[in-house]
Amino acid sequence: MTLPRTLAPLAAGLLVLCGGVALAAGLTGADAAKDRAQHMKGLGAAAKALGEQFRSGTPDPAVVRLQAERIDTAAKTLPTWFPAGSGAQAWPKSAALPVVWTDAAGFAAAARNFQLAAARLDAAAATGDMTATGAAAKPALGACKACHDKFRRPEKS
Amino acid sequence: MAKGRVWDLPTRLTHWGFAALVPFSWWSATTGRLPLHRLSGYGLLGLLVFRLAWGLVGARIARFATFIKGPAAVLAYVRGRSAPALGHNPLGGWSIAAMLAALALQLGLGLFSVDEDGLEPGPLSRFVSFDTGRAIAHLHHRTFWILVALIAVHLAAIAVYAVRGKDLVTPMVTGTADLPDGLVATRVAPFRTAAAVAALAAALVWFIAHGLRF
Repeated sequence: MTLPRTLAPLAAGLLVLCGGVALAAGLTGADAAKDRAQHMKGLGAAAKALGEQFRSGTPDPAVVRLQAERIDTAAKTLPTWFPAGSGAQAWPKSAALPVVWTDAAGFAAAARNFQLAAARLDAAAATGDMTATGAAAKPALGACKACHDKFRRPEKS
Repeated sequence: MAKGRVWDLPTRLTHWGFAALVPFSWWSATTGRLPLHRLSGYGLLGLLVFRLAWGLVGARIARFATFIKGPAAVLAYVRGRSAPALGHNPLGGWSIAAMLAALALQLGLGLFSVDEDGLEPGPLSRFVSFDTGRAIAHLHHRTFWILVALIAVHLAAIAVYAVRGKDLVTPMVTGTADLPDGLVATRVAPFRTAAAVAALAAALVWFIAHGLRF
């Protein structure tokens, strides 16, 4: 794609602005992308640990509660993990697709969906009712996948 | 030349099961269909366990003792100095062993693999951490190409024999082939042996799929 001559400075300005927003938070785009990857790994580990409890047939309420808290805590800050300019252009290993930023409203809605489900999961786990928690875990974990299907690059082998 | 039995039914079924499920596993993994990938893996695991057991107690032609030969026999075959025989030739026998070993490695790693999201982990991944499971999953992706390379050699060998006028595919479908003079048809194993081995394989897969829990 070639930009019209007049648009090129505009595009360059936009890039500088995006970088500025990320830097304002004290992070380069690459730092933000790496932090995000660490956060996501933590969520993956929590999802694995939570799933293991329910697959065992005898979930331990204390373990389930701990993992539900981890998920809810992460969900609360998740929207801040995606500053502008922290995509694959900043760190090639980032799996965040450009659509995260081009469809910011759609992404915000998907993140909100996850936050609501994670809060319900945490609330259910706090009661110690494992049947209700198991039921609440499905939409929360389903929200991970729903968002990833649209906003994350498919895994490379 | 008279037609006669070469491959017994259980050996043919496991063979075509492998041929169907290995590509299916690859497809389901590369398109992100992990629940299907898991089921396909269980199917392959059952077939592998069955085939390994069949190599010990099954039909004579399927037994490892029948077709795993020493280097002298392999060399003699390569030099064209072997007497005609039914079943795997001394070189092909090692190709089978290598493919079964690569499949066993692939399945073993898959059991401990964890996906990116931790949502569809392998049934034995509860014994490893998330990070270890992810590392095993990456290894699982790479070792797949060992299996692909061995299957490519297998298919190339079939093509070479076809060009030289020997059809290996039809006997693996029908179980029978024109027997060279002096060779008698192979004996199949009793049905009850196959049923017992299949039941054992199914039970083992069930146990592994439940994370080694009853």
